[in-house]
Amino acid sequence: MKQRCKGVPSDAAHLPVLTEFLREFWSAADLPPAQAAAFELALEEVFMNVVMHGSPAGTTPWVEVSLSLTADALTMTVEDSGPQFDPLSLPPPDVTATLAERRLGGLGVFLVRQVMDTVSYHRVGARNRLRMTKHIAG
Amino acid sequence: MNVRLETLAQTTLVILEGRLDFGSAGGFEKQLEQVLAGAGTVPAAVIIDCSALDYVSSAGLRVFLLAVRKSQHAGISFSLCSLKPAVREVLDLSGFSRIITVHADRATALAQAPPGRA
Repeated sequence: MKQRCKGVPSDAAHLPVLTEFLREFWSAADLPPAQAAAFELALEEVFMNVVMHGSPAGTTPWVEVSLSLTADALTMTVEDSGPQFDPLSLPPPDVTATLAERRLGGLGVFLVRQVMDTVSYHRVGARNRLRMTKHIAG
Repeated sequence: MNVRLETLAQTTLVILEGRLDFGSAGGFEKQLEQVLAGAGTVPAAVIIDCSALDYVSSAGLRVFLLAVRKSQHAGISFSLCSLKPAVREVLDLSGFSRIITVHADRATALAQAPPGRA
């Protein structure tokens, strides 16, 4: 089992740092390239959610991303020190809405749920913890 | 992400290369606004060529949605073409492939583009 962790402030400028962290883990663990996109997408959506909606004005919560690989699955955990917020409580967007009716709220979290096998939220002490797991084909 | 523009008659081709993520979405939104406003003449059709686009997130989908709405108001035909599988998947999962016209390739998109205004 391989495990890695990376921490950054919740600032959009640090998104490339996290993406690079994920890519390095991916190539070091020799994981199938075709499956990287789902994790890159989930990482961006979850991190940007914390930056845009989980960081009250004047504060910069700390965000920690950890990757944990088992024989057939990868778990990505994103923890932040922002105010308590469960992104999974957001109502899903209506993906059948017409162009005029279509709203963008909740789309990022919706995509995360679609591309991951399981997603769970827990408030742990003073931190939000979002855990995402997906099967990795050998 | 690199953005390149090509004009064919009254159609503007917007050729994307790289990643349409949160970091690039803001700049792309401004470029697309300029294309839709038309520098001199407003195009009859705008085709976003995604053959070299590797990645799109909800930040990119937002730009597409705003652009397709603006196009509709301005009477401009707006479509995407040549999506890679990873990009196609995000469009499908989000339901965006129902509200944005997507063509298999550039030739099909050009053939479907309106001939332009008299």
